[in-house]
Amino acid sequence: MFQTIRRLFLTLLFLSISTSHLFAADANSESEEPVIDVMGTVADHDYFKVPKFINGGKIYLPRLIFWEDAEGASQFSAFLSSKKAIESGLFEDVDHVLTPVSGSIKLDMSITSHLVYFWMSMLFAVMLTIAMSNRYKKGFGRDVEPKGAFQNLFEVFFVFIRDEVVRANIEGHKADKYVPYLFTVFMGIAFMNLFGLLPWAATATADLTVTATLAVISFFVIQFSGTKDHWEHVFWFPGVPTPIRLILTPVEILGLFTKPFALAIRLFANMLSGKIMIISILGLIFIFADFFGTVAGYSVSIFSVSLTVVLYALKTFVALLQAYIFTLLTAVFIGMAAEEHHHEEHAADHAA
Amino acid sequence: MGLLAAGIGAGIVAIGAGIGIGMIGKAATESIARQPEASGDIRGAMILTAAFIEGVALFCAVICILLVFFGG
Repeated sequence: MFQTIRRLFLTLLFLSISTSHLFAADANSESEEPVIDVMGTVADHDYFKVPKFINGGKIYLPRLIFWEDAEGASQFSAFLSSKKAIESGLFEDVDHVLTPVSGSIKLDMSITSHLVYFWMSMLFAVMLTIAMSNRYKKGFGRDVEPKGAFQNLFEVFFVFIRDEVVRANIEGHKADKYVPYLFTVFMGIAFMNLFGLLPWAATATADLTVTATLAVISFFVIQFSGTKDHWEHVFWFPGVPTPIRLILTPVEILGLFTKPFALAIRLFANMLSGKIMIISILGLIFIFADFFGTVAGYSVSIFSVSLTVVLYALKTFVALLQAYIFTLLTAVFIGMAAEEHHHEEHAADHAA
Repeated sequence: MGLLAAGIGAGIVAIGAGIGIGMIGKAATESIARQPEASGDIRGAMILTAAFIEGVALFCAVICILLVFFGG
């Protein structure tokens, strides 16, 4: 009994379940992959998942690796796939990680599935925006009304980001400068999140490296838009006694870094948890079938599948919401950094 | 022990974040009921504040995940 409960919990705690070898043996004795592989589904891969009838379900992506051989000389190797790298004799497979036979990896620049989805989303966002801006240049939407459902939908999103997010949070004449960046971020993240809902696709934002990259870019945009007042508030807070400044300055400096860190973690955790939830709930079917027989498995599948449908709808909403929240918080932080303070009022505020 | 600590920790985080977001929701619906014409602004402020609370909760979730994997 204890073992059963523990197994259930382990599945929910994103480990690939310990009973997986059973299903793997049933389903396909040649494949090493378990049927429910929670970590494998959310992790980054060196292949691009496609329907099973194309190339056995996987299109391998090239590996580009900077590495150091046993003598300490730097090497650069490029292979069409991990398999080719192992065949070349320079690399070997250690626990599914490509390692040089002698020496060590300095920098793994391989193209992975999450990177491909990142690029695809950015390409979609850029193509869509350029196509739409050409329509506006021709006069649709400026001289006459926007034409077609597509342009209308685009305008709804664009005007929402410009008016409700950017102009509402960044003051005055500075706001319009940040619209291109924030709109790109919104479209890119929204596409990445929505791609993750498609069958066989991977959610690029469920990877901390992707969200951290976005957050680092946001960090630099925020800091470079900082005014003199912003930096004064960080290093020498006006209107408070000096001993308090000794406490405030480290806190403010820490605050500069926690903001983008929170951005990265928020997006990552939200997208990852949605994905894990769906896989775990579907995984319950197989666990019940394993422990209580096939009938139990079928009966649980009714509950599991209907819950998954609802979760999918929720995930579609969360995908757009998280893109919006990332954009909104970046805009708020830029607005806080770019704000011009009026010192006379300020002194009064602090005295009060 | 790491798993136990992570589980209890995640539970407490969920309680705290739930209370926090619940209070935001309560305040927001009350103020929308009082002043329906300001519902757009209130909704924006509500989502922003909820996002901050969620941020704190997710920090703790990350700590729980670290406990699961490295807590022994």
